[in-house]
Amino acid sequence: MQPLAATTPVPRSYGPVNWRGVYALYQRETVRFFRYAAETLGAPTVSAVIFLAVFHLALSGEDPRPGISLSAFIGPGIVMFMMAHAAFEGGSIPMLFHKMEGMITDVISAPLTPLEMLAGYVLPATTSAMTVGAVVLGLVAIFVDLPLHSVTAIIGFAFAASLLMALLGLVVGIWAERWDGYSAVETFLVAPLGFLSGAFFPVDNLPETMRWLFHVNPIFQAVEGFRYGFIGQAQTSLVLAASVLAGMSLILGLIAWRMLAVGYRIKP
Amino acid sequence: MDPIFVQGRAPGPRLMGAVNWRGLWTLYLKEVRRFLNVFTQTLMAPVITTLLFLAIFALALGGAGRQVVGVPYIEFLAPGLIMMTMMQNSFANTSSSILIAKVQGNIVDVLMPPLSAGELTLGIAAGGVTRGLMVGVAAGLAMWIFVPLRLHDPAVLLFHAVNASLMLSLLGLIGGIWSEKFDHIAAVTNFVITPFSFLSGTFYSIQRLPETWQIVAHFNPFFYLIDGIRYGFIGRADSVIALGLVVVPAVNVLLWLVAHRMFATGYRLKP
Repeated sequence: MQPLAATTPVPRSYGPVNWRGVYALYQRETVRFFRYAAETLGAPTVSAVIFLAVFHLALSGEDPRPGISLSAFIGPGIVMFMMAHAAFEGGSIPMLFHKMEGMITDVISAPLTPLEMLAGYVLPATTSAMTVGAVVLGLVAIFVDLPLHSVTAIIGFAFAASLLMALLGLVVGIWAERWDGYSAVETFLVAPLGFLSGAFFPVDNLPETMRWLFHVNPIFQAVEGFRYGFIGQAQTSLVLAASVLAGMSLILGLIAWRMLAVGYRIKP
Repeated sequence: MDPIFVQGRAPGPRLMGAVNWRGLWTLYLKEVRRFLNVFTQTLMAPVITTLLFLAIFALALGGAGRQVVGVPYIEFLAPGLIMMTMMQNSFANTSSSILIAKVQGNIVDVLMPPLSAGELTLGIAAGGVTRGLMVGVAAGLAMWIFVPLRLHDPAVLLFHAVNASLMLSLLGLIGGIWSEKFDHIAAVTNFVITPFSFLSGTFYSIQRLPETWQIVAHFNPFFYLIDGIRYGFIGRADSVIALGLVVVPAVNVLLWLVAHRMFATGYRLKP
């Protein structure tokens, strides 16, 4: 056998997209999600059942809207609430963790474009959030008699909301330098957005002057769109809801992409 | 001149009385400064969360007109929420303190000094009680802006506030010592503490439960805490208030003995 010529190896060539690299990042986060399933999947599931029980015991017998039971109204809201939260955590915690532990260098030095890195962090968060949603929904459906109106709306809004919150999470994960920053955003932005989204109560009860506050909340739009998939009515127009989610995702996606491209708080 | 130097002997051990007050105070200060250092996460976050729960239930289904057991629902709910957040924070304080120290290895700094098992239990539990009470006061003041809080019986209120913080601090201590990884304590928090604190009557009167579950509720010590503090505020309880005054301290004594025993034997603390 001829000895190999002592040339330096040529760089591996990819097509326009480094699919393998994106898949490797995707796989890493997905494996992490399932390895800690007790926390990532178990905790939201338990919380969902607790919320359902609490609302049922505290408020049952008072239909939020004629013909719709309280549980059928709150059930989809709880699923969306858990999904949005899981997406935010899935988008932010891995990035912050990799930054703090120094593992981010492994990602930066890999032959990945900023857009591929973006996909490698955001897509697994979206997938895991939708997995949380599916599991929570399955469990809620055991206790609640859920009607079904439009599967397209359910899957579409689940995906749009997960994507948006994963992108928000990624931006926060890049921006935060310590856990304090992350938890401040979670406490003062994400928790209020989630709790005050109309997931747990109908906004028709609110005074007119307060209602606009809900309409600018993307989670409100997501909850209403998602709930429409079950009960067939929404407090907002579906086109508006979809546009708000898509528009905000686009803006956050651009921000995250620029952050990764210039290496904001990632590269020294 | 000091006789030690004159005779050229090694210094004898520092004399303490029956209790190492200085060591105890130092341990307590360490516990308190630990959570005050990140007060956004340890004090403000729970207050915000509590206010959000209040908002949801106030807004839900035109809440204003609702009455539970003869009081407006929002006044019924507020004391329970205060108690719930106190419980969760007391537990979080001691469990995270012990577990982080164990995982990082700096638990030796607590075990090596001349502190007895009783002093360790007291110092760490007192830190958790302090956080619980501070969160409770902060949450109470924040709610007072929105809800007309009455003080029916301050003595019962204080009794339950202190005992609840102590009970959950001791549980956190025991949980933290038992846990070997963050997964373990997260599991205890998610699957035991959170469900119990939510489902022990914070949001509803247990009279809404089926008969059997009302009996089961009386075996849940958290129920007496929430019921008791509500009595302190609005003067109305689901159970007999004297029963809580007996059950709660009894549970605390039991938990204290377990925690003390764990420190004394070094269970999962000493190699």
